[in-house]
Amino acid sequence: MILAFLILIPICGGVLAWTMESRHPGTARWIALAVLLGNLGLTALLVPARFDVVSAVGPFLISLELAWMPALGIHFHLALDGLNLVLVFLTHFLGLTALAAAWTEIEHKIGFFYFNLLWVLAGIMGVFLALDLFLFYFFWEMMLIPMFFLISVFGHANRTYASIKFFLFTQISGLLMLLAILGLYFIHGRLTGRYTFNYLELLGTPLSDVSGMLLMLGFLMAFAVKLPAVPLHTWLPDAHTEAPTAGSIILAGLLLKTGAYGIMRFVVPLFPKAAAAAAPFAMFLAVIAILYGALLALSQTDFKRLVAYTSVSHMGFVMLAIFAWNQLALQGALIQIICHGLSTGALFFLAGALQERLHTRELGRMGGLWAAAPRLSGMALFFALASLGLPGLGNFIAEFTILLGVYQVSKPLAVLSALGLISAAVYSLWIIQAAFHGPPQPKLVLADLSGRESAALLAMLAALVFLGLYPQPVFTAAEPALTHLTRTAATQKITEAVPAPPGENPHASP
Amino acid sequence: MTAQPPVDTPLWPLVLYCAIVMILAAFIVILSAFLGQRHRERTTNEPYESGIAPTGSARIRFDIKFYLSAMFFVLFDLEAVFIFAWADAARPLGWTGYIEILIFIAVLLLALFYLWRVGALDWRVEKHRRSKRQVTKVN
Amino acid sequence: MHRPDFIALAPLLILALSAAAVMLAIALRRNHLSAMGLSLTGLGAALTALPLMARYTPRTVTPLLIMDHFALFYTGLILAATAVVIVLSYDYFSQKDDLPEEAYLLLLLAALGAVILVCARHVAALFLGLEILSVSLYALIAYTRDRNISIEAGIKYLVLAAVSAAFLLFGAALIYAHTGALDFQQLGALLKAEPSGRPALILLAGLGFLVVAVGFKLALTPFHMWTPDIYQGAPAPVTAFVATVSKGAMAALLVRLFTPTDLPHWPALYLFFTAMAAASMAAGNLLALLQTNVKRLLAYSSIAHMGYLLAALLFSGQKAAVVMTFYLTVYVVSILGCFGIIAILSSKERDADTCQDLQGLFFRRPLLTGVFTTMLLSLAGIPLTAGFIGKFYVVSAGVENAHWFLVIILVVFSGVGLFYYLRVIIAMFSPSLDEGLVPSPALPALSAPVVLTLTFLSTLVLWLGVWPSWFLATLEKMLG
Repeated sequence: MILAFLILIPICGGVLAWTMESRHPGTARWIALAVLLGNLGLTALLVPARFDVVSAVGPFLISLELAWMPALGIHFHLALDGLNLVLVFLTHFLGLTALAAAWTEIEHKIGFFYFNLLWVLAGIMGVFLALDLFLFYFFWEMMLIPMFFLISVFGHANRTYASIKFFLFTQISGLLMLLAILGLYFIHGRLTGRYTFNYLELLGTPLSDVSGMLLMLGFLMAFAVKLPAVPLHTWLPDAHTEAPTAGSIILAGLLLKTGAYGIMRFVVPLFPKAAAAAAPFAMFLAVIAILYGALLALSQTDFKRLVAYTSVSHMGFVMLAIFAWNQLALQGALIQIICHGLSTGALFFLAGALQERLHTRELGRMGGLWAAAPRLSGMALFFALASLGLPGLGNFIAEFTILLGVYQVSKPLAVLSALGLISAAVYSLWIIQAAFHGPPQPKLVLADLSGRESAALLAMLAALVFLGLYPQPVFTAAEPALTHLTRTAATQKITEAVPAPPGENPHASP
Repeated sequence: MTAQPPVDTPLWPLVLYCAIVMILAAFIVILSAFLGQRHRERTTNEPYESGIAPTGSARIRFDIKFYLSAMFFVLFDLEAVFIFAWADAARPLGWTGYIEILIFIAVLLLALFYLWRVGALDWRVEKHRRSKRQVTKVN
Repeated sequence: MHRPDFIALAPLLILALSAAAVMLAIALRRNHLSAMGLSLTGLGAALTALPLMARYTPRTVTPLLIMDHFALFYTGLILAATAVVIVLSYDYFSQKDDLPEEAYLLLLLAALGAVILVCARHVAALFLGLEILSVSLYALIAYTRDRNISIEAGIKYLVLAAVSAAFLLFGAALIYAHTGALDFQQLGALLKAEPSGRPALILLAGLGFLVVAVGFKLALTPFHMWTPDIYQGAPAPVTAFVATVSKGAMAALLVRLFTPTDLPHWPALYLFFTAMAAASMAAGNLLALLQTNVKRLLAYSSIAHMGYLLAALLFSGQKAAVVMTFYLTVYVVSILGCFGIIAILSSKERDADTCQDLQGLFFRRPLLTGVFTTMLLSLAGIPLTAGFIGKFYVVSAGVENAHWFLVIILVVFSGVGLFYYLRVIIAMFSPSLDEGLVPSPALPALSAPVVLTLTFLSTLVLWLGVWPSWFLATLEKMLG
């Protein structure tokens, strides 16, 4: 039942925040804070002593299954394993960061803002926890609406365009996924006589090559748009740039991750054969995303837009790792998901803080900020270094593990994607150079970070350092889940069409 | 009600008939265009009133009440048709039919009452009616 | 006619009686409130009669009408929708000091026509119901006589509806000439027995004319041209009525008419339906993109929705009744909500139907905006709202029977359709351009019945969106 509460509490909290705000202004943010902290406490309760207790259906720590529309085989089915436990933690952590960013930034329609913030978090939580494909799709769509409002109501100048673009991209690709879900549902139903949306039952549905490929593409389309994979990424810079800071943090830190999670959880295990067939192509696209994103980031003059393009590049690593599909790469992908969420979230946080102070995001109009705001600038330097993958920080572990995993599958791609690391160093340092060093702007009055902002950033900093020095807890938590995923995929694969790795990789922890 | 087995009537006579009608009509129109005499003079388009030049416009405004009365006539006249139909078969229809026609007539009367009350049968124009109402109020 | 027959016909009789009562009340003493109250009482009585007569169904009353579960459900839907329209009309018309009472009389008569349509089992009853409905609508659409646009809409509807009625009659005549039957059941059986390869031309032409008439009423492309003008011209509550009751009754008729005929058996007809559905989805969604008038926008969106509905008919064969009924119910509820809000916001002179009217509504009326947004999202088919479940149900029927062409069209164009719903939503949430310069028009306070109605509608949308199983199970049991 705790799993349902994890989703229900933010939903109710959102409604409460909205209604209370109209009566007692100023309460909404406290309600949101209380909700997130309470939820975080609930999640902490779920952390088990051992992760490797595998039940019959899989390594699920706790699950919940309630009849929803039983006539159609739809259940309210949530389950938690190590993989999504980590992601749920990330959701709360970034939710709190977003809250800190919005604390003073949002001045109008405060109640409505926190309503949307909590609802989008609830939707994301649902996406991470759902094990019923219908429920998954339900949450997948549900998180879009509040995100749409966050951008379109609270965003910057060009928000209408950005929000509609974001919505159309994700919604249309989502509809394709719905078709694929339904296709799988009916194929499974015809074969077994059991019409169900249950993920665990749908695993291992035998599919012909063509239908498997089509269904896989339907799923992949939705996830690739979210991720974003390169030809489908154009919504992302606009949405990130126009969203309010909290929206950018959630977009970069969480929404993109739902795409990665979707590929991990659904695309490959449900359609191992088709995914293996498409893997070379997908990995190639991922490498293009890494390089192209980095290249575009280099030519940006808008702080937020630059960070947005670095997201394209970093998420390319995640896609590369997932389609490499071995234990090592997947572990790396998970760490990358977390660390990218933290470091990019922090960079957006800083961009928002700068915009609040300077009313611009143009790098050309910044410069010499270090003297005026040393704490802010120091933080920026730290997160920029994290983003370029400085050893000792989480991002380094992530990218290193990914490259190691990919190297086993394809040497040329690993080499090419390593080039992305170099360009990451260039653009990260360029931000620092352009914004914080150089000749100071005349008449610059700049308040340094407030206590609230410092606290949020310090927490992220601590998390990154911790993951960089001691990533083992995450590996331990996710290992059984990832092993289970690779094993289910491997047992279903009848023929090995591509250089997919052996499904089981005994050395889980590097 | 027995469904007649569809009779296999050929369709072509109907088509032929239509075609002949069309051709005939077209033929007459075209022929008159060739044979008829045409002239355009000053008075060609004037209306001809027994040799007397017309005066005034042909477009006179009739009071809307005329249309209203005409419409009521059509309505109630048509309803009467149903009563004739009932009268023709009154005996076989028996009491049920009698009650039904009573209801029908009651509805008609109700409609008539409604029309009377809303003033649709009142020949005076709105202005007169209002002035009368005011007068009665004053009294 | 025996007693059970009368009981089975109770809703129709009560409706007719209350129409007469309203007329009498107006004749005796003109009073807006009493006319409204009397109509609502009549509708309430008819609604309460439904569960009481359920015992006597299914029952064929005279060769013309049948009261089965299907008719029962749709009668309920029509009566409830009419009641909502009447509640909305009261506030709408009481702003105008221009004889509002007859509107209720006409609404009751139109509802009577719609009920006859859904109970029809014979072409004669179909025609009777259609005419009662249409004739009342002519007057209703032009009811705001001081607006030119209303009168134009009324005349347009009069001409086009008359033409479509002529098509219906001609089609029925041709079908009768060939089969000698006008009874739906008999007709269905005869059509089924017809050799499938080359059907008689005369029969096909008759069916074609029939479909044209039905297509006109449902506003399926290419017979959709009237919709935007009539939606825009008619007073908002009447538009709601046209969009829900009139179309709903016709869609129900479509199910009754074509479920027994086994559509795929008729390739020509089937192809025609497929083309109409695809064209409606495409035209409705594409043409709506450019609209700035919300009523016109909803008109085009309703064209698209009728396309989805027709697709549902083609997808689901024997299950069509359940799928279509669910979709239609959802559509009726959402559309009533949308036009309800427009009616509330309208002033004495004109309807609040442009995007400027809605601009910044969120800052003036957050709750109304919330309801409107919910309704629009439901029309767009977004989760948590009933529209999502409806669309899901239709799409799943399509995938089940592998109608890929229509499914892809549906998915693509409903994706396109999102754009215009979002535009309206964004308009409501953006501050108005002239804020501060011109004082925004003072909005009338909402009356309790209207608040109650809107609460009811939005609860229904959310409830069906989150927990549809009960309603689905009921539908399966009633219609399956």
